[in-house]
Amino acid sequence: MVYIAIIVGCLLGALVGFNSPIVSYTYSNYLAIAIIAALDSVFGGIVATIKKNFDLPIFLTGFFGNAILSILLAILGEKLNVDIYLAAIIVFVGRMFTNLAIIRRYYLEKWSNMLENRRKKKEAATEGVEELKEEKKD
Amino acid sequence: MKIKKASKSLIISIAITSFVLGLTMVIQFKTVTETDIAGIEMMREAELRTELASWKSKYEDAKLKIEEDDQKIEEYSKEIEENNNISELLAREVNEAETIAGYTDVTGPGIIVTLEDTDKMQITAEDIMSLINELKLAGAEAISINDQRIVSLTDISNVNYKFIMINTTKSGGIARVESPYVIKAIGNQKYLESSISIKYGFLDSMESAGKVASYVLDNNITILKYDGTLEYKYASRIDE
Repeated sequence: MVYIAIIVGCLLGALVGFNSPIVSYTYSNYLAIAIIAALDSVFGGIVATIKKNFDLPIFLTGFFGNAILSILLAILGEKLNVDIYLAAIIVFVGRMFTNLAIIRRYYLEKWSNMLENRRKKKEAATEGVEELKEEKKD
Repeated sequence: MKIKKASKSLIISIAITSFVLGLTMVIQFKTVTETDIAGIEMMREAELRTELASWKSKYEDAKLKIEEDDQKIEEYSKEIEENNNISELLAREVNEAETIAGYTDVTGPGIIVTLEDTDKMQITAEDIMSLINELKLAGAEAISINDQRIVSLTDISNVNYKFIMINTTKSGGIARVESPYVIKAIGNQKYLESSISIKYGFLDSMESAGKVASYVLDNNITILKYDGTLEYKYASRIDE
């Protein structure tokens, strides 16, 4: 159900986005930062789901708050003539990689566990057959 | 029941979140691609900014220069105008000076005095000098004797009491004048007339000496210019 919501939401957003006007190139910087922050929140949310401590308010505030904050910081950096948005990108993208690694490990583990389970089942099944055979012998 | 409610709000919020994410990402993609298509020469914004700044400063410089040049042009034209004024003024001054010096024909109201030799009495240079002096006293502006202009260096002298020389020393202006002596003077007619016809004045003295003198007033006397040259050989001007 949640996956359907994500897909439908993304598609609807893309549809609306295709029909919306583009922003000025000057402000696209800020939008990019906001997107990076939002993506970071999304990956954080996925990790939290994996760890089974996902909290909706935390996710929502992180999603929107980080986006807005990063935009504000980028604007501040522009005013101070310091590329603060670089720092924001480093932090967000770094965290994204960490989260991706966690996700990767989790699914890898899950997959390998699944494989092992299947083998064990197979073994168990063959063992069972052998036992049956042995029983028959007896 | 509790789980279902929670999941409902979760689904809605996740949907909204992903909607926002998709929207912003697509907008950003579009912005980037379309800006690239619009092609600001693959330059980054910072480069463009520095370029723009340099062009701006160049523009400012050019503008400043234009303003300066304009100012210069204005100054020059003002100067030209002033020069024109000055030369006009100079020309006017030269004209006035020429007029005063006697280098131009002049016309105006005045008096014509005629002195004639008789068989008994002869007109002398002194008579003419005293007449001219009287006329000058009365404010005559231009005087001539038999069309010989009286200028600053004019001399009047007797030659053996037979004839009178005027302007003898001046090159080209030497003139020998003989009776009848016609003396023309331009000035205030009333003053000129009264200065010579006053009691015991010039005319009286002439009469008592038995010499013939008469005068007429004329509103349109023309006095010819001095046709010699006035040159100083020894005197030089002192500039302050």
